[in-house]
Amino acid sequence: MKRFRYEYGASPVHLLVALTSLAVSAWALAQVFDVLSTPGRFLIWFLGAIVLHDFIFLPLYSLLDRGAAGALTRGRQPSRLRIAALNHLRIPVLLSGLMLLVWYPLVLSKAPGGFERTTGMSTDVYLERWLLLSAVLFAGSALLLAVRARRLRAQG
Amino acid sequence: MEEDARRPPSLPVPEVGPFRRSFWKSPLRGPWLASFLSAALLPLIVICSLTGFLSHAAYNPDLGDNALFDQGVDLYFFDWPTGPSWLYVLTQGLHIITGLAAIPILLAKLWAVIPQLFERPTARSWAHGLERIGLALLVGGSLFVFATGVLNIQIYYPFGFSFVPAHYYAAFVFLAALAFHIVTKVGVMRAAFRERGVLRPLREDLAHTEPEPELAGRHTSAPVAAAPPTMTRRLLLGTVGVGSAALAAMGTGQVVGGPLRKLALLSPRGDDFGDGPNDFQVNKTAEAAKIPMDKVGPDWRLTLEVGEERRAVISRDELLAMEQVTADLPIACVEGWSTTQTWTGVRLSELARMAGAADGAELQVISVQPAGALRQATLTGDQVAAEDSLLALKVNGADLSLDHGFPARVMVPALPGVHNTKWVEKMVFAT
Repeated sequence: MKRFRYEYGASPVHLLVALTSLAVSAWALAQVFDVLSTPGRFLIWFLGAIVLHDFIFLPLYSLLDRGAAGALTRGRQPSRLRIAALNHLRIPVLLSGLMLLVWYPLVLSKAPGGFERTTGMSTDVYLERWLLLSAVLFAGSALLLAVRARRLRAQG
Repeated sequence: MEEDARRPPSLPVPEVGPFRRSFWKSPLRGPWLASFLSAALLPLIVICSLTGFLSHAAYNPDLGDNALFDQGVDLYFFDWPTGPSWLYVLTQGLHIITGLAAIPILLAKLWAVIPQLFERPTARSWAHGLERIGLALLVGGSLFVFATGVLNIQIYYPFGFSFVPAHYYAAFVFLAALAFHIVTKVGVMRAAFRERGVLRPLREDLAHTEPEPELAGRHTSAPVAAAPPTMTRRLLLGTVGVGSAALAAMGTGQVVGGPLRKLALLSPRGDDFGDGPNDFQVNKTAEAAKIPMDKVGPDWRLTLEVGEERRAVISRDELLAMEQVTADLPIACVEGWSTTQTWTGVRLSELARMAGAADGAELQVISVQPAGALRQATLTGDQVAAEDSLLALKVNGADLSLDHGFPARVMVPALPGVHNTKWVEKMVFAT
């Protein structure tokens, strides 16, 4: 047993679970190649999702955040107000961005013809609604920040 | 234990950029944050997966031409029930609502553990190497199922493969990798919650927001060179929670309908149509289904067959002259929206009797629609026999509109929307 642990790095149960899991995935991928007429596109989307998220999307929003944080909280000890301002910017950006990420095919009318033909409804309304929602989020956040700023100033 | 394991050959990654642990500055990252997000994510994924597989079962893929693709193995050993009538509204509604709600939590979770993507060495042991292969499948599988699902409910198909089998088999990859991940990481979660408490870090204000310490003997995403905090864990998780709740509300609005439909601000089936009897959501318009107008005009006839043998040919007036039954039944779409309306028509069991079909015979319903896998559907004997299973001719007291399936459509309780075949022209009972 000690020998197994040294060679493998974990218990035999770990190996059993690992192999079972990988076997199920292998079966599912074999089915993909069997059933789909374009299995290559499946692989492109599967691998592309990882690359797009881990190497483009996440670094990009991290950089944006670092930029905003750098601009707003310059100096060693940023004031409470500046930190608050940063978060009052972050949160509407996050929520508005999340809505765009999830609903972008409708918001940006990516396939208006197909949607309209299928459902009998138009995609025209979504951009307006998303802009409105974003405006409410940003304005609400700015208003709250103004109230907090007054309170902080009153406290000295 | 792992530290003195034999190290497999691994990529010689230099200690630069993101491969340096000090590159990762956020004081909020760490095993507690990752565990908390996982604890929130897991119930949603469990519900979403179960209801996903139930949806597959609801299509009765073992009958007739119902299977949309080759199953590989037959996991579905029960017939889908015929009640309560809102059963599929519930299961598929939950599938879409929990799926939408999971998205922000999944993204936050990936953010919380991203430093571990750049771990050095790339494999500390063979076991660790296998875990990392599993993680690639977990990340790819989760992003794949959520992305394809979200695109599908918006009727946007940029991917160039068939949605149903791709979403279905990617779910197997995702869930297999998730099970492996849970087995290997449950110890980290237990240790993190034991050391930091499940909820205690949520109470810290900014002044008390400390970087998460590393757990003894574990490799986690805890920072080694954290920047000062600009946000509390409570605020980060609260924002994720609000995003999750907002998406859940948008999903719920299009499932529940009524006044709640207004909540479906950005989801695809939130619009009001008007006050007329036929003013409600359409899955597929007659135009999209390419229905030939001459085949749904006055010359339309319903043909009843048993096996290959023709038993009756009936006009719409003759159907209207038969005993009419009215039932409130939902159309519940696999895309996670639904709408309940009042349907009137002839019982399917009455048509079975008229055709002289055997008791409990399965029924294949065929549409005028010229092409597409869903131009037909096969129903179980129980579904044919159910009290409220109708060949509907009217909705809310008026003739069906063309988009809702004029001259006649099937309405069966608890059946997925697309199996309630529209523009019916032939019903074939099994012998």
